[in-house]
Formats: sequence, structure tokens, C-alpha cells
Amino acid sequence: MQATSPARPRPASNFELYSWFFMRISAIVLFILALFHLVYMHLVIGLDAITFEIIAERWQSPGWRLFDLFLLVFGWIHGANGLRIVLDDYIHPQGWKVFVKSILYVVTFVLIVLGAYIIFTFRT
Amino acid sequence: MAAITNLFRAVTYRGREGQIAWMLHRIAGVGVFIFLAGHIFDIFLMAFGPEVFDTLLFFYHQFLFKLMIIFGLYLGVLYHALNGIRVVIIDFWPSMNKHQAGLWRVQMVIFALAYIPSAAIMLSRMFDGH
Repeated sequence: MQATSPARPRPASNFELYSWFFMRISAIVLFILALFHLVYMHLVIGLDAITFEIIAERWQSPGWRLFDLFLLVFGWIHGANGLRIVLDDYIHPQGWKVFVKSILYVVTFVLIVLGAYIIFTFRT
Repeated sequence: MAAITNLFRAVTYRGREGQIAWMLHRIAGVGVFIFLAGHIFDIFLMAFGPEVFDTLLFFYHQFLFKLMIIFGLYLGVLYHALNGIRVVIIDFWPSMNKHQAGLWRVQMVIFALAYIPSAAIMLSRMFDGH
């Protein structure tokens, strides 16, 4: 960092500040939730043991449904926002940028809806 | 060709720990994100009942897929998680900035200590016949 670098102009909106803050907070949440999820599903239960029956049993408990909902929302939004930054870095033509980001937002909407739908409505 | 030149320039650029940390963070992040898209969709398939869901689950029981979980997903998530915590520490506690390279080395030791035993357990399970 150069001592003589000029002050940056104040951004018109605080969106990027909130985005930065959200990434840090969701990182801490996901550090606990996502690592627990991976270790629990792969070391405690084991991939081969996971079936429809096991997940149906898990969703008998509202606590697990809430846990999965948190994973879904925090995990995907953290990922989508991260990818938004990556796309900004590598895609320069304005038209392509808008196009690819639009796909990202549509996929985000669809997956959050599908995931939340099954978590909330699942009945055996 | 341009991609190869860029890759070569990226790897040989003398950014040291900070640049390697950032590059791995990004690659792991995008990789986990792609997995997550498929994972949310396959859990959504619970809506179609046990026959459909358990049939499509064969994908998760493939040998190659399990290897990808251990050496791709699990490795990527663990690295991204630990490196992310390092970034959070540095951002919320700016005086740690001058220690970022050292912190990265500490982080990689923690990574090895956590990853190697758990990956070994997952691998041995694969050959246990269940």
C-alpha cells in the first residue's frame, strides 16, 4: 500500500460494505454449520448409509429442518455473492457481465425456492 | 493459449503466501459452489419419494464420486473455511495484517492435522465394503 495513494471517492451506495460484512458474518456461521454438516454426514453417518429413510427421519425434527434451512440460505447466498465478485474480476464486457450475473441471480432464486420448498413441505 | 500464459504468469507472480492463499481460496470457493448447486437440487428430489430419490442416489455411491468428495469437496471446504477465518481475523483485527503470512502457515498446519486423519478414515471406509 502506497502512502501517497489518493483517497477513494465515497461510493454512492453502501451495498458493497454490507456485502463485505455479510461475507464475514456468514463465514463464521458457515465455519460451524458447514464443517459440522460435512463431518457428521461423512464421518458419523457415512455416505453409503444416507437414504431417503434417513433424511425423512432427520426431518421429523424441526431443529434439523432449521439447521438445513440455515445451511441452504447462508451457504448459497455466501457462495453466490462470492461468485458475483469473481465474475466482476474476470468478465469485462458490460453486456456479458449483466448476462452472466442475471443467470446467477435466476439460479439463486430457483435453488433457494426449491430447497426451502422441500425443507418446509416434506411429509412422509 | 492465453489461458495457459495467464496461468503461468499467475503461478510465477511473486505474491508469495498471500497470493497462493487467495488463489486457492477462490478455486475452492467456486468448486464448492458448483457442488452446492447439484446438492440442493438432489435434496429437492426428496419431494418425489423414496423410489426416485434412492435410485438417483447411486451417483453418490460411485467410487469416483467418493474420491472426488474426499480429495475435492472435503479438501476444498476445509481449506476455504480455515482461510476464511484467517481473512476474518485480519479484517476485524487489522494489526494482525503484518502476520498474515505466518498466520497462513499456522493455518496450513491446522489444515493438515484436521484433513489427513479424517480423510484417512473416509478412505478406509471406502474399502471396508460399506
